[in-house]
Amino acid sequence: MSAAGEIASAPAPSLRTIIRGAGFIGLGAVGVFVGLADVLARAPANAENVGAPLLAPSAAFPFGTDILGRDMASETLHALAVTATAASFGALVTVLIGGLFGFLAARMPVGPGQFSRWVAGVLSAVPALLLAILLIGLTDRSFAPLAAGLAAAPLAFARAFDRARELSTSRHAEFARATGISRNALLRRDLAYEFRDTFLVSATRALAAVAIILSTVSFLGFGATPPHRDLGLMIGAARDTYFDHWWTATFPAAALASLILCARLAAGLEEGERP
Amino acid sequence: MLRFGLKQAGRLALGLLGAIVLAALVAAAGSHAPGLSAYANIVVARLVAFGHLDFGTSAITANPAWDDLARRLPVTLELLGFGAVVAVVIGTPVGLLLSAGRVLRAGAPLLQIVAAAPVFCAGLGLLWLSERVLHWTGAPHDTSFVSALLSGDTDAMAAELRSVALPALTVGAAGAASIQLALRRAVSQAANEPYRRGLHAMGLSRFEVDSAYLFPQVVAGLFRSFGEVASSLLSATAVAEWVFGWNGAADLFLKSIALQDWSVVGLVLLVFAALTLSAEFVGAMAARLLAETERLA
Repeated sequence: MSAAGEIASAPAPSLRTIIRGAGFIGLGAVGVFVGLADVLARAPANAENVGAPLLAPSAAFPFGTDILGRDMASETLHALAVTATAASFGALVTVLIGGLFGFLAARMPVGPGQFSRWVAGVLSAVPALLLAILLIGLTDRSFAPLAAGLAAAPLAFARAFDRARELSTSRHAEFARATGISRNALLRRDLAYEFRDTFLVSATRALAAVAIILSTVSFLGFGATPPHRDLGLMIGAARDTYFDHWWTATFPAAALASLILCARLAAGLEEGERP
Repeated sequence: MLRFGLKQAGRLALGLLGAIVLAALVAAAGSHAPGLSAYANIVVARLVAFGHLDFGTSAITANPAWDDLARRLPVTLELLGFGAVVAVVIGTPVGLLLSAGRVLRAGAPLLQIVAAAPVFCAGLGLLWLSERVLHWTGAPHDTSFVSALLSGDTDAMAAELRSVALPALTVGAAGAASIQLALRRAVSQAANEPYRRGLHAMGLSRFEVDSAYLFPQVVAGLFRSFGEVASSLLSATAVAEWVFGWNGAADLFLKSIALQDWSVVGLVLLVFAALTLSAEFVGAMAARLLAETERLA
């Protein structure tokens, strides 16, 4: 533990900025790929018999082909577009339902505020993955992005609630109240500053969490359904073939890991902070 | 300590109450009640039944839901136990190493590259490595390691260890990620305490300060994250059971959702939430106990 003495000094801000920048560049690249997926992909989504089945990666098919002769590069690109779009929607739900509502709930009267915090605490005790699957089971698979966003919301809610409580008992809040600033004006002010300072961090963190939940849900067979294949479903579908044909699972997995990695780097998490 | 313990016990009781209500809400979903008031009546009836330890009947097997779960739960607990051991063995040194020194801390983001792979990708990767590289096909999961241990059959124990190795590594990897995060967070918080500089200025060496004061704080920080670690282990267990074909409680949950067997779904949720909440309680109490012991010492 002696080497831990070095920790006292704060991490170099430049390194964190570089890491966050790399994350945003990566997310931007994903955004470009997603936006131009139909142009960049050589074959439309789910186009079968583009090549012979299970061709290894080659100059003609850089990512090979799958068991139905689909071009894996095109399929990975289309699936990345589905996953990134659905995860972005889910992340928005997490930020709005979890982050924003959590912030507002902390300023509610004690009864409803504490009750909503208790509900969030109970829901946080259930793993988010199982919560998402439960919500899909209670509704429909087409609600998977919404379910993933809602499943990730309790943790975001608890975090925002605690942060808002911290702000409302801070010295600036006491001073503001003493000078006659109304509770609503203080709430609007705190919300505006919090939104400005933490929205990108919260959104990218939620994007990573929702992408993991969504892809896992699809892998387990509760999410996306063909023909709208996402990366989780592609990897799940490759379970029977990837032992002998590694490329059928490796490229979708690499695309998924890249999306999650970029989102986490962009969030620029503090030391030891939970992703 | 007593006051703290009572407060934590109250929090645990409230959490468990919430989990019971959630389980009743889910279990009542299968009733297809024709309105909100009818649904509310069914929820209340389920809550009363829960009070009598009646968790309903499985719509698939027609057995009591508890019996179906009780058959599967030991498998999950065994996997969780082995996963927790792997998580501690991997996560603790990684967390301490990545917290030690500025250079190593700078390398911490590189760990994100490894951690970015979802659990199911890690499971499939391990499966591929074991079959294609190590030429190790694993073994069927016939009995439990505990049963083999109790019977004293060394061959059965070896077979069970072989069968649990890959799923436990998968679950353990997810737990290790949580543990190293919790450790880094604890070190980061404890290391910024002003007393460290003060004690160092008074002539104590860094090793003395860290081992006598920082280390207990870090361990307490890890204890406080028990709930978070338990949640990630449970989540990973659900995936590992699916990937490796283990018939555990998480696998039962997934199959029950697919077949809309809501009594079983509600019960599994209740048990999983109770496990996480209990881990949180135990962690909070252990952290406080450690702090009290340190204070008295």
